[in-house]
Order: sequence, then structure tokens, then C-alpha cells
Amino acid sequence: MIDAMVAGLAALLTPQALLFMFIGVVYGLVIGILPGLGGVVAMALLLPFTYGFETAATLALLLGAHIATIWGDSVTSILFSVPGSAKGLALCFDGYPMTKQGQAKRALAASATGALLGGIIGAIFLALCIPLIRPVILALGPSEYLMMALWGLTVIATFSEGSLMKGLTASVLGVLVAFIGMDVVTATPRFTFGSDFLMEGISFPVAMIGLFAVSEMMKLAIKGTPIVDRSLVKEESTVWQGVCDAFRHWWLVVRSSLLGLWIGVLPGVGASVAGLAAYAQAAQTSKTPERFGKGAVEGVIAPDATMGANEGGGLMPTLAFGIPGGESMAILLVAFIGLGVVPGPDMLTKNLDLVFSMVWIIVIGNILVTLIGLGITPWLARLPSLQANLMVPIVLSVCFVGAYATRGHIEDVLVAAVFGVVGYLMDKYRYSRANFVIGMVLAVMIERNLHISLTLYGRDFLLERPIALAMLAFVVITAALPFIRNWRRRKLAQAAGAQS
Amino acid sequence: MSRHAQENLASVLLLAVFAGVIVLCQDFGPRARMIPLPLAVFGIVLTLIQLAWHNFGSPENLQMDMISVHGPDVLTGDAPVVRASGPAWLREVKAYGMVGVLLALIFTVGVMPSAFLFTAGYFIVTRYCSWPLSLAYAAMLTVSLYLLFVVALEMQLYHGLLAPLFQ
Repeated sequence: MIDAMVAGLAALLTPQALLFMFIGVVYGLVIGILPGLGGVVAMALLLPFTYGFETAATLALLLGAHIATIWGDSVTSILFSVPGSAKGLALCFDGYPMTKQGQAKRALAASATGALLGGIIGAIFLALCIPLIRPVILALGPSEYLMMALWGLTVIATFSEGSLMKGLTASVLGVLVAFIGMDVVTATPRFTFGSDFLMEGISFPVAMIGLFAVSEMMKLAIKGTPIVDRSLVKEESTVWQGVCDAFRHWWLVVRSSLLGLWIGVLPGVGASVAGLAAYAQAAQTSKTPERFGKGAVEGVIAPDATMGANEGGGLMPTLAFGIPGGESMAILLVAFIGLGVVPGPDMLTKNLDLVFSMVWIIVIGNILVTLIGLGITPWLARLPSLQANLMVPIVLSVCFVGAYATRGHIEDVLVAAVFGVVGYLMDKYRYSRANFVIGMVLAVMIERNLHISLTLYGRDFLLERPIALAMLAFVVITAALPFIRNWRRRKLAQAAGAQS
Repeated sequence: MSRHAQENLASVLLLAVFAGVIVLCQDFGPRARMIPLPLAVFGIVLTLIQLAWHNFGSPENLQMDMISVHGPDVLTGDAPVVRASGPAWLREVKAYGMVGVLLALIFTVGVMPSAFLFTAGYFIVTRYCSWPLSLAYAAMLTVSLYLLFVVALEMQLYHGLLAPLFQ
């Protein structure tokens, strides 16, 4: 194993591999920052350029670009509340409030360092877990995936402060919107009104561009002030503060990274669920959960650490079984075919050096992204203080072009506009947009895995699957935890009031 | 419109949406409606509770945007000072109009020309800068978008409904 680790690193230390990784990282950062485009697009566009080069160099280009899109997504989520793709959503919850409080540098640095630490921890555990992972993956099925998705839903309570009814209503709406289109289980067109376009469903990135970016620009146009008015809110944070934050919350980083690795290992779950689940566990295990959603740095660190580690986890089913852990891993599989590499159990024995090359790419790619990220953070942090009259037309134009570019359907531009207005109204009447998107992201996964569980194991599928039952108990406990904690705090406050 | 009326209107709209979902679900098979139907019923229950809360609860408990409560000079916690002029409702209408104009431009002249026209127009209308500078900024943005999306990402452009007139 040590030999394979050394050979894997040596394959990456060629000028071609290092140059390709640098190009991939810079390219991935640019793509990640563009709304609507994420790691999948970045890798898909690079695919034609990957043939005829060294295997390690090709993988460095593809994986480097993919890793860089994670932080690219986080940048726009933190600075403008515009998630570049679904996985950047969790960064809006606390990153954007931090920006508005004059802590953009701290948030960006914490995000970059969190992703780096997550990536490294994920890669280390991936290397250690390679021999153990096969039986673990085989032990899990749709019922367990269903429980994972339900766990993601528990974050809803965090964003329902003030009105739980409105928070729940928003998530119900999100779930229903996700059901627009062809139901893959029963082949029934649902809520499509005979439209061919709606048969494909509502694209998550387009809906998010509308709900967050377009509605935020509408708010800016109405207010006429920048996101951060420097005459009122000074940028007092530093990059170093953010770096220290990530190290200070090392236990949160470790927990989030292991969660990301775990979710990455589960095929088809994806980084968007990972980010939300990480946010949920950070909020639920915090001693001060009331700070979440208002600019808690832990709310930035946890999702980024999870998404950093998620890439390593996603590699496992891709390499071990040829089952892609997500869309980006499916593209990696295509690249493998082009390179003549056959994924499967043999990858973990005969091609172990190549597997370790990928582990090293994750580590080196993350270091490169973080170094570049920390270097450009002071300049990026100035963007939210640009005048509203400059920001609004530029961001709106980019968002609508991005919405169109997502699938190449002009109708998506209309969808982005409609969701923009809906997002603005939801924000105005305090129906949580975050809950809406959480419902939307998790709905399909919940429905699909519920149907498969019912088909495979019948109505009592939980009794048939003890792991799923244990996970359900865990979901119930973690969902109840914030309420119990609040109740105890209120009791203590009442007792203190009675004594005084 | 009073805050109660606005909240009630929002709730009634939501009730209509959930009721519509229930009606549409009747055409689906038992499996296809297994989740949407109970969810829509749950949505109706939630909205009815919210509706009762609006009308019978304390006004202080309403979760409303302060822009509608205190008039044009006070906004949400985002920024304490408002520099935009005019009443709140007018600014809101302008924001809807802005999105509508960009949408109309995209559908009529296509994606890239609309980015140029909208950006230049916005700068000129809001007097952000002089019109030659507005045109220059808009041209820079459009060229950047073209290079990124069309040249680098090879996106197929939409040319708008007016395109056949020029072909």
C-alpha cells in the first residue's frame, strides 16, 4: 500500500500533470463562480481535451477542475447569496449574513480552509478505508438512503424561526415543485399541463438562480444601496481570522468531513444533500444554535468541509464498482473509458497506484484552490460594496444567461424570472426560501427511495432493514434536539427569573 | 393594503395552489400521488392554521417585511439607510418591471443583445454614468459574456423571436 501511495504521488509530480492541475483549478474556479454552472459542466467541457495525455495528468485536469468548482460555488453564495449550483446552497445561510456584517474576508477564508481540511481529511480516510469500503457499500440500500434524505429535512426547523408554519409551508411547496415533470417510477407526467418543457422538470440551478440571485437583485434595486454599505458597515475581518476559525472548530471540521465522505460513498446522494446535512448537524450540535442563519462561521465551515471530503467519498463506488457516486463521477467514468482504465474491484488491487494518484490529486488540488482562494479573497470581498446600480444589471444579465446556459432551453429564462418574483415575495412575507430549496432538493430522493423500499421490502421495510431503523431513530433524536434544548433553556431562564 | 390583508391574500393564494395540486393528483395513479396528495393536504392544514394565526393572533407575531408596515423609509435589517427615492410600492413595481423588461428583451432580440441593451439602458435610466460610458460598460459585459459562454463553453445562442425578420 505504501508503494502504491508513493507511485501515485510520483505520477503526479511530472511537469505535464502539475500544469494540467493548475489549469484545471483556475478553470474550475471561473466555472464555479458562474451561476448555474458547476463541477459537472466543468468536467463535461474538459472531456474532449483529455485524450492522448498521461493518465495522471488527465485525471489532474478533470478532478482539479471539479474540486475548484466547490469553492467557486461558495464564493458567490457567500458574497451575493447566489449559489453557483445546488451544492453551494448551504453556504448562503450564514455566509451571506457574514458578508452583510462586514465579515466577507473571514467567511471566504473560513470556507476555503474548511474545504481544504475537509478534502485532506476525506482523502486520508479514503486511503485508510479502501479495504473496508466494499462491504459497507453493499450493506446499504434505498431504505438507508431514504433516511439520509429525511435527515437533510431536519434542517428545516433551523430556518423556520418566527413561524414554523411558514417554514413548513415553504418546504411543502418546494417538494411539490420538485415533482413537476415525468415521474421516473410510474412514468406519469405530473403537473406538466401538456408542456414538453415541463416534462423534464424544473432545473435546480435555474430555480436557485431565480429564488436567490434574481430576488436579491430585485431587493437591491428597491433599496438602492449596495449589499454592504461601507459607510455603515466596515470590513473589519481578516483572511487570517477565517483560517483560524476553521482550525479552531477542528472537531466540527472532522465530523463534517467524515459525514461528507460517508455521503459521497453512497451512490446517487450528491454534494447538495451533503452540504445541507452538514449544516443540519452543525446547527443541531451547536451550543448556540440560535446564531445559525445570522452569520455563524460554523455554518460556513461545516458545508465546505463536507463538500471537500465528499469528492473523495464519491470516488469509492466509482472506482470499486463502476457505480458513479454522482453526475461528476459519471463523467469521470467516461474519462476512464477513454483512458483504457476499467473501474471495478480490480482497481483496488491491480491499479492501486492510480487510485492513490486520485487521492493525491484531491489533496494537492485542494491546497492549490485554497492558496489561490486566500490570495484573491481581499479583492473578492470588495465586490459586495459595489453600488447597487452597477451590480443589478450586470448580475441580472449574467444570471439570465446562466439560466439559459444550464440546459440550453429558453424557457429556463422564464422559469428563473418566475422564481425570482416568487423568491422576492417569499422573502417579503417571510416564507423561508432556504426551506423551499431544501424541500426541492430532497423530494426526488425521498420519493424514489421510498418507492424502491416499498417495492423491495413491503410496507414494513423499516423492520426488514435494521440499519435504516437505527438511522430513523438518529433522525428523530437530532430533529428533536434543538426543541429539547430550547425547552431546557426556557426552563432555566424561568427558574433564574423566579429566583431573582 | 393592510398587513392583515396582504398576509391573508398570500394564504388564500397558497390555499388555491394546494387545492389545485389535490385536483390534479386525482388524475395520477396511486403510486404517483402517494407523496404529492398527502403533502398538498398537509399544506392546506398548515395554511389554514397560518390564516387563523393572522386573524386571531397578536399583530406583533406577524412575520412581515417592515417595508410594508412602516412605509417607505424603513426597510428590513439588511441596511438601515435607504437611498432609493419614491414610495415603496412604486420601487417594488419598478423592480418587477425591470425583470419583465429583461425577460421581454431576451425573448425578442435574444440572449446576448438583451444583455447589452438592458445593462446600457439601466445605467442610463438610473444615471449611474454618462451614456457613452454606459454603452462602453455594457459592451464590455456583453463581450465578456460572449467569450465565456459562447466561445469558451460553446453554448448555442438563442436569437429571439425577431431573428427570422433578419434572416
